[in-house]
Amino acid sequence: MKLKVLPKSQRKHNHYLVLDILSDEELTKNDFTSIVWEACVRFQGENNTANFNLWTIELIENDEISFFNEYKAILRCQRDFEDEVRSSLALVNNFKRKQISISCIGISGTIKGCSKFI
Amino acid sequence: MFDLNVKGSSCDENLKLAVQAHNYGWSHINFSYDQNDFANALTFKDELKDKLSDLIDFDYTLYIKSNNPSEIRKITRKYRNKASCISVLGGDLKVNRTSLENVQIDVLSRPYLKRYDAGLNHILAREAKDNNVAIELFFIDVLKSYFTHRSKVLANFRDIYRLHKKYDFPLILSSGAESIFDIRTVQDFKAVFTQTGLDASEVDNSFRTAENILKFNSDRKNLILSGVRVVD
Repeated sequence: MKLKVLPKSQRKHNHYLVLDILSDEELTKNDFTSIVWEACVRFQGENNTANFNLWTIELIENDEISFFNEYKAILRCQRDFEDEVRSSLALVNNFKRKQISISCIGISGTIKGCSKFI
Repeated sequence: MFDLNVKGSSCDENLKLAVQAHNYGWSHINFSYDQNDFANALTFKDELKDKLSDLIDFDYTLYIKSNNPSEIRKITRKYRNKASCISVLGGDLKVNRTSLENVQIDVLSRPYLKRYDAGLNHILAREAKDNNVAIELFFIDVLKSYFTHRSKVLANFRDIYRLHKKYDFPLILSSGAESIFDIRTVQDFKAVFTQTGLDASEVDNSFRTAENILKFNSDRKNLILSGVRVVD
């Protein structure tokens, strides 16, 4: 049996971070999700990360030719915890011993609103 | 948004860093060179200026790396009029002390480097305030470390924040970026430092301090004594 959807007033409020990713290694959506979770758990701890309500909405590969892989991603996080998440992601330095950089280039209250940053 | 310490290298590398910094919202960056490379870097400054004229402001920082206090004094005197900012790499207690006592030096960078403590105490904090020498913290020190080492760096940062709040010496925050992978957006940069214990207003103040150092040094030739300058 499926749970009934919560009334609007009881739901969690989410914000969506638009991320700019530069990486030497090719990334999949699963890779990206594990990077995000590991970064948050490492910097903020397990207890705080539980508040963030993290979810990867989309990982988009950039088609432009470059020396490294460029991606844009949309990441869901709970409202009022954006600073905690973006600071954790800013401190990501490597993945599988290859260089990676994640920067937050925009925040929106809706997924549709993220399109203006991509 | 001012970043006074991005590691400078060749003209092309500097160009890449500057473009990325511009994309991420920085309005001014300073490329840092040590005493051996600074003169060489001045040769391609004009070329870089032409290429970056409509993108981002930039200048050079002299980043003195020496453990000898008298050599630091000598280098400072030699380059004072050529560099927009003179920064000394700290870590050694003697270097920390001589840098903070010298009014010709603008910045003491990373006083906690390779130490088990912050490298500052209440006496040095007071000296920094009296001589208007800023203490610089590097984002890259947090970025490039992990686990216990990162915790220790953050603990040193917190000790410095505590002294800054009490003695009110100038504090500046720099990225210390060596490649485009080390540059973050201004908001991300602020978020990291607010998470580690600074207020948003203190982070903004640190950018203003960096701006004031550059402004003060551009007007240094008109300075007769501290507090007295030629106005025409």
